[in-house]
Amino acid sequence: MFETKTGSGIALAAVLTLSAALAQGQRPLVDGAGRQAAKPAAVAYLYPEQVTVPAGKPSVVALHFRIPPGLHINSHTPRESELIPTTLSIPADSGVRLDGAVYPPGSEFALPLDPKTKLSVYSGEFIIQARIVATAGGHLVEARLRYQACDNNACMPPKTITAAIDVIGK
Amino acid sequence: MVSVLAARGATNCIRLACPYNIAKRPILMKRNTLVFSAVLFILAAFAWAGWANWEYRRQAAERLQASAGQGEQVPDSSGAPQYVPALLGKPAPQFTLEDLNGKKVSLASYKGRALVINFWATWCAPCKIETPWLIELRNRYAAQGLEILGISADDIDRGDPRKLNEEKRGIAHFVQQMQMPYPVLIDADSISKPYGGLDALPTSFFVGRNGNIVAAQMGLTTKDDIERSIKKALANYQAGGSAGQQLPEWN
Repeated sequence: MFETKTGSGIALAAVLTLSAALAQGQRPLVDGAGRQAAKPAAVAYLYPEQVTVPAGKPSVVALHFRIPPGLHINSHTPRESELIPTTLSIPADSGVRLDGAVYPPGSEFALPLDPKTKLSVYSGEFIIQARIVATAGGHLVEARLRYQACDNNACMPPKTITAAIDVIGK
Repeated sequence: MVSVLAARGATNCIRLACPYNIAKRPILMKRNTLVFSAVLFILAAFAWAGWANWEYRRQAAERLQASAGQGEQVPDSSGAPQYVPALLGKPAPQFTLEDLNGKKVSLASYKGRALVINFWATWCAPCKIETPWLIELRNRYAAQGLEILGISADDIDRGDPRKLNEEKRGIAHFVQQMQMPYPVLIDADSISKPYGGLDALPTSFFVGRNGNIVAAQMGLTTKDDIERSIKKALANYQAGGSAGQQLPEWN
């Protein structure tokens, strides 16, 4: 009798696990209002999610980003004035001030159909050293990275992504 | 289920040579409730999984419909992806935009001409490669009735006149630098929706004289590909003209 109970329990757990897995796999591609889900950004913020810095003093935080294979974005210092540079900013009212940022140097890149024109780009993973000054306490900072991505044949419109960082000033 | 369990209880009593023990009833009932709840839970889980599946299919269908509206990438004969929009064979969506001098230009004013509607931006490096090809092809086929409308997708801040002037100057500088001889309009963003979203640049739509889109390309292809599409637009013009067919109105 106890075996029967245990068997039922296992079966129930299995069904529930399977159902939960199915539901996870079927995460809606459109949101609740029926709109198409936002297209994935070309750049993803990786880490850190949380940093602790001395309050009131400039501290350097390395922000890691990733660009998927096949895409590139302009570096902070593109070679032509029309091209949109990659820039980091922090909203003024976040309790954390961006005192400065050191961007990595861009890699030299040329489109296959125009090998003579060299571009300065980021691809793969890149790190921006952000110098921040935080007031005392916890601040959920939504740093913004503006960039413009292309592949070898086409460019996407400029985009701004948010890098959420929990900054604790001590 | 209940009767089986009751029978089992009775059998145990027989084996133990005792009458059916009434005191065991609450335990049996508790067990029955448990089993019943479990069955109910499983059924609910199945129902929920079924609903989730149905919802997923509905959303997938919506997504498919949305992507059909935006066109899709399909390989051409050479294997290179080509942009085949849902607009193919349909009238080019109407628009009226400003040129760099603030003059309003409408698509309808090009009625009866073969057109290339080319969306580009100053920040788009592949557009810089494509533009000289377009200029060359426009000069080659202008006598046959071809015109190009370049539509800039650069951001336009209408609320800030100083910024707007700066942006217009940037576009004008590009136009001058590239020596674009055809009309250049601004604010592609305002007509991006009917043209499939304009998620990537350059994007070109080739419009025949009857106002229908005969070909489209998203991203940089080759000069030969563009020329082929231009010839399609012109052929549409010639077929329409030579056959003496009544050309439909653009509006």
